[in-house]
Amino acid sequence: MNRAIMEPNSSPPMTSLAQISYLRNHLNQALRGKPQVIEFVMACLLAQGHLLLEDLPGLGKTTLAKALAQAVGGQFSRVQCTPDLLPGDITGFSVFNQKTREFDFLPGPVFSDVLLADEINRTTPRTQSALLEAMAERQVTIDNVQHTLSPTFFVIATQNPVEHHGTYPLPEAQLDRFAMKLSIGYPERNDELSLLAAAVGDSPNKKNSSELLNKQALQTLQNQVIRVAVEPKVQGYLVDLARVTRSHPKVNLGLSPRGLLIWQRVSQAWAFLKERPFVTPDDIQQVAVPVLSVRLGLVSDQAQKVIEQILASIPVPV
Amino acid sequence: MAPEVSKIVRRITFVLVALATIATEIAADEQRPLLRSIGIGSIGIAIAFVLNWLVRFPEDPKRNPPLWVTILVLLAAGAPFLIEPFRRDWFNDGNPLELQMVYGLRNVALALVVFSGWLLCLRIAAITSLFLILFATASTNDTAMMVLLGLYTTCGALWLMLTYWTGLRSVFVPPEKEVNLEIQTQSNRWSWVGLGVLGLLLGLSLAVIVVGPQRTVYVLGEWLPTSGGTGETDPFARSGIGDGPEEVAGDNAQAAGMVDTEKLIEDNRNALIDAVGDTYGPPHKPNKDQERMVAAGLADVIQFHGKLPENRRPSRDFDTGRKGPQAKKSPSESQNARGVFEVQGRTPLHVRLVVYEKYDVSKNRWLEGRRPTNRLLEEEGNDWMRLGHLREADWYSSVERHQLKVADLKSNIVPTPASLTRFKIRRVDRADYYEWDFEGVLAIAGRGRTPSGVIVYTDSVTFNWQNLPESSLMTISPSKNPAHQLNHIPEEIRPQIEQIAQQWAGHLPQGPRQIEAIINQLRSGYEHNREISSPEDHPHPVLWFLTESRTGPDYLFASSATFLLRALGYQTRLCLGYYASPDSYDPKSGHTPVKANDLHFWTEVKSRDGHWLVVETTPGYEMLTPEIPLREKILNTLSQMGSWLLGHALSVMIIVLIVLALWLRRREIWDFILCQLWSWFPSRTWEKQVFRTLKLLEKRGRWTGHARPNQTTPPRWMRQLTPPPSQSDGQDWNQLARMAEWACYAPQMASPWSIDEVHAVCRSVLSCCSLRYWRKIPPLSATGEWK
Repeated sequence: MNRAIMEPNSSPPMTSLAQISYLRNHLNQALRGKPQVIEFVMACLLAQGHLLLEDLPGLGKTTLAKALAQAVGGQFSRVQCTPDLLPGDITGFSVFNQKTREFDFLPGPVFSDVLLADEINRTTPRTQSALLEAMAERQVTIDNVQHTLSPTFFVIATQNPVEHHGTYPLPEAQLDRFAMKLSIGYPERNDELSLLAAAVGDSPNKKNSSELLNKQALQTLQNQVIRVAVEPKVQGYLVDLARVTRSHPKVNLGLSPRGLLIWQRVSQAWAFLKERPFVTPDDIQQVAVPVLSVRLGLVSDQAQKVIEQILASIPVPV
Repeated sequence: MAPEVSKIVRRITFVLVALATIATEIAADEQRPLLRSIGIGSIGIAIAFVLNWLVRFPEDPKRNPPLWVTILVLLAAGAPFLIEPFRRDWFNDGNPLELQMVYGLRNVALALVVFSGWLLCLRIAAITSLFLILFATASTNDTAMMVLLGLYTTCGALWLMLTYWTGLRSVFVPPEKEVNLEIQTQSNRWSWVGLGVLGLLLGLSLAVIVVGPQRTVYVLGEWLPTSGGTGETDPFARSGIGDGPEEVAGDNAQAAGMVDTEKLIEDNRNALIDAVGDTYGPPHKPNKDQERMVAAGLADVIQFHGKLPENRRPSRDFDTGRKGPQAKKSPSESQNARGVFEVQGRTPLHVRLVVYEKYDVSKNRWLEGRRPTNRLLEEEGNDWMRLGHLREADWYSSVERHQLKVADLKSNIVPTPASLTRFKIRRVDRADYYEWDFEGVLAIAGRGRTPSGVIVYTDSVTFNWQNLPESSLMTISPSKNPAHQLNHIPEEIRPQIEQIAQQWAGHLPQGPRQIEAIINQLRSGYEHNREISSPEDHPHPVLWFLTESRTGPDYLFASSATFLLRALGYQTRLCLGYYASPDSYDPKSGHTPVKANDLHFWTEVKSRDGHWLVVETTPGYEMLTPEIPLREKILNTLSQMGSWLLGHALSVMIIVLIVLALWLRRREIWDFILCQLWSWFPSRTWEKQVFRTLKLLEKRGRWTGHARPNQTTPPRWMRQLTPPPSQSDGQDWNQLARMAEWACYAPQMASPWSIDEVHAVCRSVLSCCSLRYWRKIPPLSATGEWK
């Protein structure tokens, strides 16, 4: 463990704090009035997880994704998922080059740093599954050739919870690859007023090319998150909660070990964002809803209540 | 909901309990008509049904039932035992012990089935119903029981099948799901009930250690129903069941069992006078020139042609100038090995042996009384003999029944209680088989000693001096007939005796009040000591006792009372006899053995109906008083408590106020003590110091409705609470929250804060966040939200 990060009054390092602060401000500018959502998105990014945004159209899902991609400075790709979308359209494919008389590999959108899979539940499960390997292992295998993706590869998928005609619900295996599921929700009145005011005179095609983080800086931050300490009793608390999810009568699918690892990592990221070099049960509780709601097979309107019950069932370690 | 508590299982459990309840009612009273038993049982079932309908089912049936359910079930179990004394007292009806126990179990089953929403209650109800049906089946041969048993077996089989099949569902639960989901909103604490139970267990354990395991077993044995007995001691015994331990006739006639035996032993070895000498010491030997010859009666010599029985031997006059008992070098085991007779029934009991009426002041001797000439025994049939010379009187309480079994009596007397009205010895069915040794001292005519193994059944009356009317006692003016044996006071001591008697009781009306006054004076102002004897040169031991020593053996107490009462005009006499002490009660046999050295002197005063009433003046000895009904006992106790409280009103009030103040301020006091301990004995590491401070804060929060919920970490809990107003920026408060965060969850490392800094912050927070401050802020909900 880095000694610097263990000092109570000095962690994380100032440069990291500044970067995080800039990133936070930038995202809050892009998505007004949703600081809590921004915090979760940043935690997901720092925990090297992938994000599923489930909300109604027009609430800023794509805006958030684009702002994030712009902020982290990498390559941004977008896939509009439709029923006729093929796996190769996402991963890429090989074409025969008549000049060189060889097959050339044309990389797909997954070969980027931030991939926005818009309305992911509109494409077929076959195409959805094309993302499995990419999300879990940050690589794709095409024609028996493994292609490594960017180490900061980050998927933001969106889906519309209302329209179910012609949609393909994501399978549990796919859902388990996401670190968290978020709903943005409608902004408050004041936020909408400021949104309108900012839009006057502002071109919709305007591109802000300012880069807050580069790939290396993001990797550094992610590595610092990995080193955030988790005491054994806190890990025990986490495991107890995971076991409770497996026995709760309203939970269809208990938390998997992979889900448990992701929960710990997101908690580490949350503690890092709170400028604390260790995880407390509060961190675990605060990220529980977005982390668990994506993977317990819960109905959306019951998820919050069931997760609160689960959290209330285990006393925190002291 | 757990599969076991499905509706059908609950209904079948209810049917099982209902069947068991009806079966219990049928078995409880076989003489009762069947329909009536079913009707009585149905009342309880109907009540349980209605209550079951009213009780809300718990959200989680697997959890233990709440405390109030446990209390209600325990009350239902104890109800038959609580009601029984009042039922017996007020309605003269009752149940034997084993039926009370079964009714208690029946109540438990019905109460549990009311709360069958809880899985635990449902299961115990089913098991209890099984016990009840087994009890009923074993207790009666009623044909209806076979029908009930068949129905119960069918329902029981169905119950087993259903619980088995519903229980199978849990088999398919994957192992990783075998985790109990139990929502805890409060931290685990010692409950008052738990502490109470712990204290009770500790107390019981100490009691067992103090009284010993054997006595504990006897006491517990008294609670259990037993078989055998005759139904005589418990009028509500059921066919002899519950009537004490079984009494059997052994081969030995001196066995303790109260069963008549044909094996009578004839033995003339030891004499009563030996026991008197052992107990009170050897008598004073007068000079030879003062010795006198007392010849046995001519008729006795002719009748026996040999050694006289001890109660006929001459020179049994009692010498009050004795030197006290001599210390024994090696006490004979045989003397104390067994009693001369055993008593079954209430004690204490006075059994007369010798009666003294006149006092010879020149020799300081009591002279034995006269033999009665006209005392009648009336045969009542069934071997019972009634004392015919007694007149009817209505001032006595209920009749007491005793059984006295002769084991090794040294004379031919028949041991009987003092206020005897009638008695029986099996097969001794004629009045002329008995004779009167003295008035009130019965003996078997023509025998050297009463055979061992003889059981004397006696009925006697009891009384209270307070309840006797003023005209109940025989009185005679001392001046009219001073020479009368029962009124005789030696002239040498008469003035002093009369003066003391007048001083003690002269101001009271003649009657029982005067006797009570004499008793109270002697019992409260004098001390019993058998080792002390009057000086040899003192002419009058009684006066020496009354005026000088104020301590002495029981015969001086009794002699003094006899003279004092005579001085007041009552006919009195001195008695020597056996005293059956309650302290000698043997719980194993249920008897009170009376040993040869249980000799005792007391005074008796004659009543108008012919009884000689015991006047017990010796401290440490009591007389048999009427059994007080439970209601009266409770009232007496309450009355005594009230009197005592009134008598000590000021001190009681002060104590109550102090206790009340301590109780109301208990938390402040406890908090002060803990804070002082925190201050005097600081922890060595900063983490421990922070932990101790947190514990103190949590305790304050718990006492004031701000308890930290179980799912909330201490730092978060602190941040939810407002910093004290005296800390304007809440700097110390927030700093302590941060320290708590680090102390609880940070990995081991070098101290981020100095120990002094931690002490300062903790002390600042503890002093600012006093209990008064905590009481001012609004309480938090269980989830940590503001209410």
